[in-house]
Parts: sequence; C-alpha cells; structure tokens
Amino acid sequence: MQLTSTQSIASALALASCSLIGQTQAAETVPANDDWKVDAAIMYYGEQDRVQAVEAIGNVQKAFGDSSLLDLKIVVDSLTGASASGAVAQAQSQTFTRPSGKGEYTVKAGDTPLDDTFHDTRVQLSANWQEILNQDWTTNVGMYASKEFDYLSMGLNAGIERSFNKNNTTIALSGAFTNDVVDPVGGRPVALAEMVFSADYNSDAEYQAAFDQTRLNGDDTKQTTDVMIGVTQILNRNWLMQANYGLSSVSGYMTDPYKILSEVDLNGLTQGYRYENRPDSRLKHSVFLMTKGALDSGVVDFSYRYSTDDWDITSHTLETHYRYYFSPSFYGQLHLRYYQQQAAEFYQPFLMVGDALPEYASADYRIGDMTAYTIGLKFGQRLSGGHEMTYRLEYYQQNPDNNGTEIPGQLQNYDLFPSVKAIVAQVSYSF
Amino acid sequence: MVANSSNPQANNISLQPREWGFLGSFTAMASPCEVLMALDDQHIAEQMLQLAFQEAKRIEQKFSRFIEGNLIWHVNHANGVAKPIDAETVHLLQFAQQCYQLSDGAFDISACPLMSLWRFDGKHSVPKHIDITGAIEHVGLSQMTLSDSHVYLPSGMSIDLGGIGKEYAVDKTAQMIAKQWPDHSVLVNFGGDIACPITKSDGWQVGIENPQQLDNAAALLTIRQGALATSGTTRRYIEVEGKRYGHIINPKTGYPVEQAPLSVTVLAPNCVMAGMLATMSMLKGSDAEAFLQQQGVDFNVFRG
Repeated sequence: MQLTSTQSIASALALASCSLIGQTQAAETVPANDDWKVDAAIMYYGEQDRVQAVEAIGNVQKAFGDSSLLDLKIVVDSLTGASASGAVAQAQSQTFTRPSGKGEYTVKAGDTPLDDTFHDTRVQLSANWQEILNQDWTTNVGMYASKEFDYLSMGLNAGIERSFNKNNTTIALSGAFTNDVVDPVGGRPVALAEMVFSADYNSDAEYQAAFDQTRLNGDDTKQTTDVMIGVTQILNRNWLMQANYGLSSVSGYMTDPYKILSEVDLNGLTQGYRYENRPDSRLKHSVFLMTKGALDSGVVDFSYRYSTDDWDITSHTLETHYRYYFSPSFYGQLHLRYYQQQAAEFYQPFLMVGDALPEYASADYRIGDMTAYTIGLKFGQRLSGGHEMTYRLEYYQQNPDNNGTEIPGQLQNYDLFPSVKAIVAQVSYSF
Repeated sequence: MVANSSNPQANNISLQPREWGFLGSFTAMASPCEVLMALDDQHIAEQMLQLAFQEAKRIEQKFSRFIEGNLIWHVNHANGVAKPIDAETVHLLQFAQQCYQLSDGAFDISACPLMSLWRFDGKHSVPKHIDITGAIEHVGLSQMTLSDSHVYLPSGMSIDLGGIGKEYAVDKTAQMIAKQWPDHSVLVNFGGDIACPITKSDGWQVGIENPQQLDNAAALLTIRQGALATSGTTRRYIEVEGKRYGHIINPKTGYPVEQAPLSVTVLAPNCVMAGMLATMSMLKGSDAEAFLQQQGVDFNVFRG
C-alpha cells in the first residue's frame, strides 16, 4: 500500500479498525469448536490380479484443556482376492488342498499359484492419551487392539518426551508391548509337513485323519516388545532433523500358516508341497534419519531407514515428500519411495527333492530379495471453517529377485519372481 | 455479588455502587479492568460486568502468547506448517498486516525474538549486536501468508497480538454492551485503554497518568463518546554508560527508537485505532508530536 500523505494513516486505520470490530460480530455467531478434530478417510488398495482391500478410517481428537489430548482411531478393512502361496508355476495345472482341509483349488498351467481363499475383515481400535506435563515434559500412553477372523492382536504403549534448549531439541523414548493370538483356519500346520490330497485316500475319514496329522491343535501366540529412542533437533529457522533408533524383539509363532513351498526334482517338476516354518524369535534393529525443511511455498522431507535382524533380513529405505502450496489453501504433494531388501537366511523359492529338510524354510516372496518403489501424488484443499479434503493416488511396485538359487529344468521357463503392482487411492475429510 | 464466576478471588471481580451508578472491576490481561456504568439497576450492572469479564477472559485465553496450547501457541509452534484459524483471528491478523504496511514495517507483531532480547529488568546490559542481527532474521510480517482460513509462518517465526489485543477487547466489550443495552452510558477501561460507546451528556472524567509521577493524574480529559488508548509504560529503560535506551524497539534496526516519548495517549473513535496511532507515534521518536498533529487527532505526549 503506497501512501501519498501521512494523514491518510489515520483514515486508513479508521477504516481498518471499524472493519475489524464490525466483522467480528458475525464471526461470533458461528462458534468454532476448536477442541474437536475429526478425520474420516476411505482407502482402496488393489494389487493387479491379487489382493484388493477397502479400508475405512475414522479418527477423533479431543483436547481437554491446554495440556491433554485424547486420540481415538478406528480402522475397518475388508480384504478379498488371492495372494501367492509360495508354490512355483508348472507346465501342468496344479491342485492344492485348501488351508482348512475342506476342498481344493486348481491353478492353471504356467500360472504363479495364488491362494484365492484369502478374504477377511479386520477391525482395529486404538486410543492414545497425551499429557503435556509442563514446558519441558510430555508423556503419552495408549492401547491397541485388532481383530480379524484368525488373529487377535492387543497392545500397550507409552512414551515420554523431554524438550531442551528452548524447545529446539527434543528427546523421545517410547516402548510398546503387543500380544498376538494366531488361530489359523484349519489349525496350524506341522512344520514342513507335506500337503495331503483327498484323492489319495479311499474315504473321507482316512483323508481327514491324514490331514489332521499335518496340523497342531489350538492357537499360538506371539509377543512383540519395541523400544525406540529419538532425537529431534531444529537446525535453523527452516530445517529440522530427526534421528531414531529402534529395537524390536519378537518371540512366538511367526510362521505364515497359509504359505507353502514346492518340492521339485532336478527337472524342475513339482513332487509335493510342504508347509513353511520360521524361527520363533526375531531381533530387529533399525535406524531412521529424517530432515524436513520449510521452503518459500512448500515443505520437503528426505528420510533414510536402515533395518537389520537376526533372520539376516537387511533393508534400506529412501523416501521423500515434497509439498508445494499453489495457494495458502491448496497444495500438491509428490511422494517417492525406494526400498531394497536382502532375503532371510531361510528363504528359498522351493525345496529340492532328496535334499535334507532344513529346520526353517519359507518361499514367501515378502522375505526374499526384493526392491520396491512407490510414486504418489496427493492434493489437499482447505475449505472454509477449517475443513480439509485430501486426495491421494499412489502406484506401488514390488520386484522380487532371485536370491542366488539355481533354477532347475522347466522352472527356467517361468517367472518365479513376478512383480506385484498395486494402486492406492485415498480420500480424506477433516473437520 | 457476581455469582457465575468460577474463581472470583483470583480475578478480583467486584461491583460497587457509586453516586453516578456502578463501578465493576476485575483483573484480566495482567491489568486492572473497570466498567463504569451510569445506571440504577444493579441486576443490569451485574450482567454488564459479567459480559465484560467473560469477553476479556475469552480474548486473553485465545490470543495471549503466554498460554500454552491456545490458538496463538499453535500458530507459533506450527514449524512451517499452515495452521487453520477462525474468522476472528483472520480479521485480527489482516488488521495487523494493514498496520504493518501503514507503518512501513515499524509496527510488527512478529518482532517477539527482538523484544525478548531487550529485557528491561533493571540489569544494565545491551544485547550483543550479533544476537540482534540473528533475531532480525526471524522478524518480518511480510513473510506471513494469510488466507481466509489459514495462516502460514515460516519455521522459527512467531507472532504476538499483545499490541492489539487489549484495545480489541475494549472495543469488542464496549460494542457488545452497547448492542444489548443501547440506552445506558458505559465506560470500559482495561488497563488504561478506554472506550465509551454510548454518548454521556456530561461526559466521563478520565485522568491520564504522568509516567514520572504515577500517583497523580497529570491531565484530566472529558470523554463523552469515543475511545482513548495509551502507549508507553513507566520506568522501562536501561542506562548504559550514560546512554538511555528506551523500551520502544524498532523492528527494522533491532535497536530502541531514539528520543521516543515516555508515553502517548490518543483519542480516536475506537480504541484499536487510538492504540495503533499511539504506538505508531512512539515509533516516530522525536517526530511523535508532529506525526499525531498530521493525523488530526487529540493527543497527549509525555517526555522524560
């Protein structure tokens, strides 16, 4: 605003002040409910020819005074579709006994075997309470429960944060304990037991008896203890950085009861199938480094995560988000992520007939050698009254690799490490 | 006497009859607050006082930068993320932007990093020049982006509505009382910032303090309608090697304004305008009087 004379300051102030005092009268009639914040989102995840999931997310935050915050979250998701069973493709069609033991499914010649019995509904609930004790100390405690048909997970978590140096430095320490109960459809398979087929038996009773021999009674449990320590440091007016170290110890049942391995001969012909088996303890270390900066009209972050465990799975993740404000109420965000993983020591794409059976084996591509990347776009639109709409669309691709296994005979004709391609779409509304 | 207050002791609410009506008083925004009501009905007086108290407290809770977790606190701790704000805050920030432009950057609600360097706590020390230049980097309201619903401050910046908030509370309270009881004359006085929304035929007598003789009113003004506000506080300067540094900091240089008056009182149609003219004139230093004369307002300037 260019002024021609100083006297116009008084006139301009008269106008501006009247407008300020006048306008607020209208604002008063719409009381802003500052201490409630509600987010609702619906997400679709779809793998090409495989798993499809639809997820509804509801999140409510309620502030009690200036120092307490309650956060409640519910997630309901529904999964359908098929996932890779771990068996390898063959020149003939292949028939598999369903995990329940009741019925069979057949996979066409040349196709990667997918188990299509995969469908479930999962409900997750979590509650977290944050309490700012004073300028320097903040604590939080939370509970978590998740239930699906064959799985129940319940956990507790707590954390404490201390600010130093005029809030320029924050040190956080947190811990969590989770207990999971696994009760697979058809029971837990006996480790590396051979799959039985009803066609090989004279009667249903004989078949059932043989199937039961491959199963253990009852459910099993898994306990996870996580500890994390992190430092957040404000570097200057535009940049901050964060470093975390995490330790995760898991003990109990970690085998995927629905995953199998093909047992092949030197020509690559499948002779049978065995249920996988994984160790019952896992100790994982991870280091996370992140820097985040405010740009003239945007925000950018870069992060790197290194993770290693005593299953010999080692991974590197590089990730960045770049948000650009086209206007104060509209932004676009680019998301790029690259992930690289080295296989677990007991991962193998199949078993060889005649070799001694290992103690642990899994052909689950998710613990094999793999690279994966994500490209995503998100747009956020701020509406009047503090409401916000966001739209997210991401493409995700996993590229499993051979971990150095020699591929015998006819298996060389097939892609034993097919890529998995997925789309994630999400719409959220905050008010 | 005032039944609805949750903690009347801490806020010192009281209502006393006077020969001209009722005097209500309480403490808010770290200041003694008064409502002078020229009326006979004690019930109405109680309601007016309650309204004034609640509005003063509401504005203090919402806009004080010293209250952790409130709206301003969230804006000041957004770390470079745009924060949703309500319409009232949008209007206040728009007004602050206009004042920033009108004063050519001299009135700046983002000057807190500088203000906190200059502590007038009686210890004779001038901040280091390097600290001042460092703090200036985090000052400058032109870096604030304001939309109809959000405010964005670069990380490291913060805002303080202390230079507007009390005057705004006076005007809001006066306006609400005048709207509800248009037939009664009332004077709203929050710590020396005053508004009289309805004309009082014989006027209100208002004393203006001499900053050097606090106990005696140095000047007496009669207000029939309108507002007045005072900028400048008492005994707030530091003296180092014979040079006196006053408490009005120029946010562009980071140093106190030279030859600033001890206090300036301005009369204007509303309290926000009066307060802003008083503050802007302080920032003019030796030209304070000339500036106010050009504005064509009534004023009173004290110099040490």
